[in-house]
Amino acid sequence: MQRIVTMSMMAILAVPGMAWAGGAAGGADLAKAFAVLAAGLCGLGQGRAAGQAVDAMARQPGAIARIQTAMLLGLAFIESLVLFVFVIAVILLFVKS
Amino acid sequence: MELIEHPPILHIAAIPDHILYTWIAMAILVGVAFAASRRVQLVPTGSQNFMEIVLEQFVKELDETIGHGGRRYLPLIATLGLFILVSNLMGLVPGLVAPTANLNTTAACALIVFVTYHVIGVRKQGFVPYLKHFAGPVPTMLKPLMFIIEIISHCARPLSLSLRLFGNMMAGHILIAIFFFMMGFDGMLGWALRGSIAGIVIGAPAALIMVVFVVGFLFPLKILVAFIQTFIFCKLAMLYIAAAVEEAEHH
Repeated sequence: MQRIVTMSMMAILAVPGMAWAGGAAGGADLAKAFAVLAAGLCGLGQGRAAGQAVDAMARQPGAIARIQTAMLLGLAFIESLVLFVFVIAVILLFVKS
Repeated sequence: MELIEHPPILHIAAIPDHILYTWIAMAILVGVAFAASRRVQLVPTGSQNFMEIVLEQFVKELDETIGHGGRRYLPLIATLGLFILVSNLMGLVPGLVAPTANLNTTAACALIVFVTYHVIGVRKQGFVPYLKHFAGPVPTMLKPLMFIIEIISHCARPLSLSLRLFGNMMAGHILIAIFFFMMGFDGMLGWALRGSIAGIVIGAPAALIMVVFVVGFLFPLKILVAFIQTFIFCKLAMLYIAAAVEEAEHH
């Protein structure tokens, strides 16, 4: 339930950006809209991963070091998808075509 | 970009900035390594002690990830790690450039890892058996499909490895550049110095808040990111090597 609410809120937040992008139809505006969307969804994913990791650490204090490593790796993989969007956005914003 | 970004202190027209600062990072590393290994003692003191502690972290990670025989790859992993760490931390000093905030540097590091773990896999196992393991433990009918998927996933590795490091460093760089721009003479501080009442009432505290935010939050965050990205780059390189070596031992 909570997740559905969060997702719909994310979608609502993304709408102005999308509408803005639709009006001007410029690559830079579209980049901004999708960068915001990507950052928000990354927050959801990373929050879930970190929360589960903390949960696991609380249950198994002995395995904290290994859980931490796995968590960092997972966070890096989630983050890298957002960084792809960031790189695309930077290219669209700063490279004059 | 040119609006908000100041040129670095040291700038030679013929040489791109990231290459110049790569050389500076190399000079720092060579200097530290020389100072540490000039008089090697059994009971280390000073800089030798420091470098031994640093390298012990790499050795610990290698033992954990690759296990037996992992220490063979210490020179590769530790060199990459120390270079990336020094480069990342150089980006924190105002006026210097982080070489890793340029895609060329990170792509070079990622390609070295890519080529190295394939070479290690082929040398451990032979060329044809190594290629066979790309197909994985699936029924014969599915093997061509798995093979293509594995090839794509292996090609995505250097891409994600380089873009992750580059994106993190670049994002932090732009963030701090924008904050410095907003609080500087073109932003809040300039507004306060221009002498209007609103400028002094709003601009000066806002500039102060931004200074506190940047120094108290953004810089510690960037130091953390510099270390974590180094760790992740090295850990992934170790995992790729471990995967290439492990397959050889199982079959």
